[in-house]
Amino acid sequence: MKHATTAGPIQHAEESVQKWKENGGRVVGYTCSFLPVEVLNVANVLPARLRGTGVSQADIGDTYFGPYICSYPKCILQRAGSGQFSYLDGVIIVPGCDSMRRLDECWRKAGEDFQDIVPDFFFHFGVPHKAADHSKAWFSSEIERLMKSLEEHFGVSIGEDDLRQAIARYNQGREMLARLNDFRKASVNTLSGEEAFALSVAGNLMPRDEYTRYLGEYMDEVSGRKPGLYNGKTRLMVAGSVSDDLQLIGMAESLGGVVAAENLCFGQRHEGDLIGEDEDPISAMVRHYLDESLCPRMMGGYQTRLQFLKEKIEEMEIDGVIFQNIRFCDLHGSENAIFERDLEAMGIPCVRIEREYGALADTGRLRMRLEAFMERMT
Amino acid sequence: MRPEIKEYNIDWMIWSIIKTAGRTTRGSDREFYAMLEYVPYFKGILVPIVREGEAGKQFLELVGEYMGNIVNAHDDGKKLAMTTFCFSPVILYAMDIIPVTLEAISTLGALMWRRGTFDYLDYCCEVGFTETSCSAQRGSLGAYLAGLGEDIDMIVCDSAGVCDTNANSFAFTSAYLDKPFYQLNYPPELVTDRTTSYHREDYYGLIAFLEEQSGNKIDEGRLRYVLTELKKQDEILTDIEEMQSLVPNPMPILYNLFIYAGRFFFAGMENYTRMLETMRDTVSANAAEKKSGLRSGKENLRSLFCYIDHFAVNLSLWDWLDEHGITQVGNILSKYYNADAPYLEGNREAGYTINTENLDSMIDTMAQMNARMPMVLSIRGPYDAPYMWFESSLVLAKVFSADCVVYNGTPGCRNTWGMIKPFARDMEKAGLPTYIMYGDAFDERVESWDATEERLEEFFRVRELL
Repeated sequence: MKHATTAGPIQHAEESVQKWKENGGRVVGYTCSFLPVEVLNVANVLPARLRGTGVSQADIGDTYFGPYICSYPKCILQRAGSGQFSYLDGVIIVPGCDSMRRLDECWRKAGEDFQDIVPDFFFHFGVPHKAADHSKAWFSSEIERLMKSLEEHFGVSIGEDDLRQAIARYNQGREMLARLNDFRKASVNTLSGEEAFALSVAGNLMPRDEYTRYLGEYMDEVSGRKPGLYNGKTRLMVAGSVSDDLQLIGMAESLGGVVAAENLCFGQRHEGDLIGEDEDPISAMVRHYLDESLCPRMMGGYQTRLQFLKEKIEEMEIDGVIFQNIRFCDLHGSENAIFERDLEAMGIPCVRIEREYGALADTGRLRMRLEAFMERMT
Repeated sequence: MRPEIKEYNIDWMIWSIIKTAGRTTRGSDREFYAMLEYVPYFKGILVPIVREGEAGKQFLELVGEYMGNIVNAHDDGKKLAMTTFCFSPVILYAMDIIPVTLEAISTLGALMWRRGTFDYLDYCCEVGFTETSCSAQRGSLGAYLAGLGEDIDMIVCDSAGVCDTNANSFAFTSAYLDKPFYQLNYPPELVTDRTTSYHREDYYGLIAFLEEQSGNKIDEGRLRYVLTELKKQDEILTDIEEMQSLVPNPMPILYNLFIYAGRFFFAGMENYTRMLETMRDTVSANAAEKKSGLRSGKENLRSLFCYIDHFAVNLSLWDWLDEHGITQVGNILSKYYNADAPYLEGNREAGYTINTENLDSMIDTMAQMNARMPMVLSIRGPYDAPYMWFESSLVLAKVFSADCVVYNGTPGCRNTWGMIKPFARDMEKAGLPTYIMYGDAFDERVESWDATEERLEEFFRVRELL
């Protein structure tokens, strides 16, 4: 096991994707947590959530996207244009937000200039912005369209029982992730936020069975740790825009905090509750992915999301919340402000920071803001 | 926000100004021009509008009535619904609810105030909006968030799935002010059965929401009346659009603004029909004389604005185009996709048809019409997908014989900034010189009009279009 460092789980996950591919497996990249990955699992395709990490320039991203666009899709496009996603057998674009949905056109159009960067299977998966009955019906038809397309393209068959089994496989991981949180509770306190988040991010890449095994082994190791390892540290929560790098959490923990919870879509937010295993699998997935979403793209659900944060803060005995958003992220950027207003009114200290996607480009500024925030709570 | 700005409500201020402006046309020309000395800044908008004659006067009255309705709604026992430009107000009028269309109010402020709507724009950022979120909403929303507008009773929008930034402004306001909220949400395709059904179901949900919030049941007779009026308006618009395709284009350039602003204010209401009739008469007279609608009477070039116009400050964009002999054959705001529209020939399924037979057919009409509102129709899916932005813009360019395409928006338009570069490249490949404006339609601080003007000049000069 490679968890000598906190980045170990992600490194392990990346290697396992590589291994899967070397063994003749198919990999499909996707852009957003609203994709029912169980469907791909049944098709024996590895769903690997696309990350834009490791990008040091954005010349390709900036060529196709306009200037007022979030750096996350730009970094993904940069990697695609540089050939770093050449191992993908397919891509599924999910319109999580305006910037992400335009990755569809930008990637395809970049394909006119850069050879072989657009896989043959390139699918736009529409997701409604509400969970009304008709939205669920539409989402259900979209899942069926995806299934048909996967079947045709990859020559596979996706049956109802197979879907149920895939749901059960993913549920196993979900249950373990929920149990993992027990190690972060104030009464136990044996798992750092950086480690926990790395484990969550790894789940977005790794083959599911392997991930479940890996989590199990990791938890066995953590169980052996002496309780109270992180006692005395300020208990923090990190929430907001998409984030898949460990540095922000690492920075907060280097300043005397422990990130005991996060509400990030590469983290446990989208794993959420279990998907029903004893009902029609498509209906069960629809309910899970639409009804239980905590993403602000689901317009009008502020109170639900606030309630979730309150419960998490109480459960994990959080001292303060770090809200972050990537520049130009209207959805999280503005909602973070109302969260801050309402949580501060309840006496919970909050800080809002705006940043670029990926490795901390302006570490000095962010460190100073976090230092000030930590001082406020000590 | 500066203290003096807090002295008056935004809606009251605009109403007072426009109401007064409307009265200035009642005197003689001499009196009118003598009065201009006392409105040194406002004359930049007043003169061009009044110069349009009867249609200009009717436009001022229309705006005054719209703002008056907002200010007086509660005294009149009516509810106010905050909404967006791409949401058709027809259903609100049919249910006796007064629309407060943020972008329309932002436009009026941006056009008429030398100070712009900067204080309101910035106030939104103070309470949490990102600094580049859409200025079209922020320009007036800041006032409502600060309590400097009539108290809003409910919020409805239809931009989720089309423009997140837009929808988010309304979702934010609902959470911030704790107001009831309903969003119509659009899938990324237009004419499939499942999408048509989605439009319908979603619209029924809207009506249930409006009934609950307003206490008014939908009235079949009133709905039929409003839709019948809308049908008349669509017929007039189709006549005008057919004449717009003539060379030279006989439509005065400012009519573009009158057409869409009027529609945002009073779609389905008689006062808008009257203004359209006046406009049709003028356009017909020009067409009969084969005369250009431009002031100079000479048309050098035909431009299609594939997105929106530029509103900060005065009517500078139209003045500039007019001075250079460039006619504007429309933009995304001025086309309504009634199935009879000239740009839907051979493609009628992309349009809507008004059917007043019974309540269900009327609700279905409104659902399908709303799904074809500006931006809602063509920005919802990938730009190069069937019926979407590229195809619809190309058809407009062809039908109206455009020589070039101009994009203008706001930095907040993530939906278009996300792909405007490949879109423009595809337009160029189709043989249409395409210019991307980098300013902000509602906020002159992003790029001054002087700079915008200089860059426009450069585009037309470098591309040897003029």
